[in-house]
Amino acid sequence: MSYKKFGQNDVIVNTMRAHPNCEFFIYDSKVYYNAKPEQSGAFSSQTLNVPAGHISLYEYNIDRAAGTNPLIYPFVYKNGDKISFKTVSEAQWSRLYSYGDQITSSYPLSASITREFLSGGAGGTTTITPTDRAHLAYQSPNFPHFYALKNKLNFYGIMSEHFKVSSSYGDKNTQEVNLISVPTIFYGSEIKPGSMNLKWYLTGTLVGELKDEKQNGELIQVGPVGSVGSGSVAGVVMYKEGFVLLTGSWGLCEPISLRSGSADVSGSWIYFGAGALDGVRQQAGIVSSSYSSASFDLSFKGTSDTQILTMFAHANKGEVNYSNNPTFIQYGQTKVRHTSSLIYEENPSQLIYNTVSSSFLGYDADYENQVYVSRVAIYDENRNLLGVATLSNPVLKKEDQDLTFKIKLDI
Amino acid sequence: MAVTSFETLNASNIATTKTLLHESIPLTGTIVSGTYSDNNIKNYTHGQFQSVYDYPYLSSSANHIFDITIGYDESSSLSGSANVTQNAKKINMYNQFSQVLLGFTGSANNVRKFELDLLLDEVGVMNESIFLNFSRLITKDQIKKGTFSITLGTGSWSGPFANTKTLTDVSASDTRGTANTFGGDYGELYSTDNVVRGIVFYQAGIAILSTSSFDGVTDFYSASAGTSSIAQTFVSSSITASCDALRHRLQNITFNNTTEINSSIYFCRVPHNKYNHSANPTYVSSSTIRVKSVNTDTPVAYITTVGLYSADNQLMAMAKLSEPLKKDPTNEITLRVRLDY
Repeated sequence: MSYKKFGQNDVIVNTMRAHPNCEFFIYDSKVYYNAKPEQSGAFSSQTLNVPAGHISLYEYNIDRAAGTNPLIYPFVYKNGDKISFKTVSEAQWSRLYSYGDQITSSYPLSASITREFLSGGAGGTTTITPTDRAHLAYQSPNFPHFYALKNKLNFYGIMSEHFKVSSSYGDKNTQEVNLISVPTIFYGSEIKPGSMNLKWYLTGTLVGELKDEKQNGELIQVGPVGSVGSGSVAGVVMYKEGFVLLTGSWGLCEPISLRSGSADVSGSWIYFGAGALDGVRQQAGIVSSSYSSASFDLSFKGTSDTQILTMFAHANKGEVNYSNNPTFIQYGQTKVRHTSSLIYEENPSQLIYNTVSSSFLGYDADYENQVYVSRVAIYDENRNLLGVATLSNPVLKKEDQDLTFKIKLDI
Repeated sequence: MAVTSFETLNASNIATTKTLLHESIPLTGTIVSGTYSDNNIKNYTHGQFQSVYDYPYLSSSANHIFDITIGYDESSSLSGSANVTQNAKKINMYNQFSQVLLGFTGSANNVRKFELDLLLDEVGVMNESIFLNFSRLITKDQIKKGTFSITLGTGSWSGPFANTKTLTDVSASDTRGTANTFGGDYGELYSTDNVVRGIVFYQAGIAILSTSSFDGVTDFYSASAGTSSIAQTFVSSSITASCDALRHRLQNITFNNTTEINSSIYFCRVPHNKYNHSANPTYVSSSTIRVKSVNTDTPVAYITTVGLYSADNQLMAMAKLSEPLKKDPTNEITLRVRLDY
C-alpha cells in the first residue's frame, strides 16, 4: 500500500448552516412539539417519560416507571474534585454528604416552551422590608425574567423602537406583557431572523397571524387580511436569546376564558399561548368553557452550524494501480520460488489476474493494468490510521485515468 | 470589550483531572421477554444474533440495549454431534468473540478459548457460551467494576423463576482482571454458591455466560418437538431459538456504567494590585468613576467574566461568574475555571 500526501488545496474546512423547523402547537393546556402525538407505554403514561411538547435529554428512560421497570439515574461519588449535580447546592454538598458518598440525580431531563403572563405592568416591583431592618428595604421586581431582559431590549432598540422598554409606542414597565421563553436546545445558536410565525385559532379558524416581515424582530400582524390590528406590531422577538414578548392588546375575537381565576377576556396577543406551562387551564364552574376553543401555533427555524472537513484524495494516472488483495494474482501459481534456511525468494513471474471485461462470448479481452478502488484510508503524519472511507460500490481505476475521491467528515 | 491586561497561566496554574460519572442501569426481564410480545426483539435473516430493544423497535423512541447470541468452539463435543443446526455459524460466533476479546496463541496462531478464570492457561475452558453484547449507549466508557449482576431462571420451562441463579462480579477490583486480553479488563461472574459461571468484559461491555449456569435444567427450552437441555438446544436448535430460550430465563440484569469526564482546571489568580479597574464604558460617568464617592476612595471593580486566551492573544473561551465578585486593592482572588471535554 502506498501513501499519498494531501496537498495545500486538498484539505478544506467549511461550515454548513442548517435551519431545522420547530413548531409548537398549544391546545387545552397541552403543548405539542413538531406534531408528535402523545404515546403511552406499558409502564409509563408517556413513552419518553416527559409530558407532551417536551424533549427528553438522552431519551434514556423509554417506557420506564419506578417499581417494576425502574428508571436509569446518574450518580457521582463525592470527592476532592467538587463535582456534583446542579440540583445539589454548595451547602447541601458540604453538609449532607461525606467523602465517598453517592450523590444522585435523576432522569429524564426535559425542556419545553413556557409562557408567563406579566399582569399589572411587567416592570412592577414590590417593596421588601427585612424584619427589624426597615432601613434595608429594597424593591424586588415582580417579574424578574422581564427585569433581566430590560437591558437587552433597550440594546435592540437600534433595530426597532418597539424593542425599547420605554418608547413612543408605550412603556412595557406599565403594560401587560406576554413573555414566551424558548429553550436554546430547540433552536441552536439562534432563531433564524424572520422565521418566527405565530398563529391564533378560534374553533379552528385563523383569527390572527404574526410574522417578522422586516426581519428586524418586529412581529407584525399579517392575517387574516382586513382583521382588526392588521399591519400593527404586536410584539418583538429576541432571536439570539429565544424570547417572544407580546404587548398587542387589541381584540382578536370574542371574550374567552384565558386567565386563571378571572372573568372572560377579549382574545388578544397578550393571551397568546395560554396553557403553555403557565398554569392556565379549563376552570369548570369559574369561567366559561370556551377555553378549549382556542389553539395556538408557534413556529420558527433554528440555526445549527456544522463544521465539515473536506479532503480530496487524488489517484492520478499511473498511480494506485496495484492491489494487495490475494485475488489480485492469478490463482494456482507458485508463489515461492526458493525457500530454505538461507533464502526466501518469491516467484517474480506471477501473473496478475485479468479483470478486463470482454464483450464477446468465449473471448478474453487483452490484459490492462486496472484495479477496483473500494476504500480510501486517512492517516496522520505518523502514519496512524485515522479513518477509512468506504465507497458504496468499487470504482474502476484504469492506468491512464485520473480519479479524485471527495471525502467529507462532519466535525 | 477590549481586554487591557493579561495574566500568564504557568504550568503550576493548570491542572488536569478525570472525574467519573456513573449511571445505574436496570434491565428487567419483563422487557426482554413478555411485555412487548417480542415486538422489541429483532431477528435478522442471517440468524447469527438477536437484538433486544427497550421498546418495540419499529418505534422511533426505541433504543437498542443489547444483543444475544450463542456459540461453541470447534473442539466442543457439540460441534461433532449429528444433525447440528447452524454448526458453522455457532463456531464462527464463538471464534469472532474470542478473536476480538482474547486474540490468538501459539505458533499456529490458534484462536484462544474462553476460560472461567481467564488466566489463559487453557484450564477451565468454556467451550460453549452465551454472549450478551451490551450497547455503547448504556455501557458508555465502561461497565463499573463490581456492579454487574444477572439473574437467571433455572426452574422448569413453565416456571423458570421458581429457582434462580444470580451471577455477580463480586471479586472485581481495580487491579484484578487486568491480564493482557484484547478486550480489556474483565471480571469473573460468581454464582451464589461461589462458582464461576461466566466472565464480563468491562470496557467492551460484553458478558459471556458458561452453559454450566443451566446444569441440571432438563427443559431449558421447550418447542413443539419437545423439551431439551441447554446442550441439546445448542445442537438441535437455531441460534435464534437458543436466544429465545435464554430470554425466557432472563429475570434481571443490573450494572452501573461509567463516563470519564476529562477536565482542565485553570487557576486564574487575581493579585491585590490588579484588576481594580474596569474598561466597561459604564464604569465612568462624567469623567468620574461611578463606584467612587470621593477621589480618595480606593478603586473598586466587579469581576463578571474570565477570558482564556491563547499565546497569541486569541480568545479561546469565556467563563462567566454566577454573580459579580467585588475586587479592590485589599483582597486577592483565585478563580477556578474548569473546562470539561
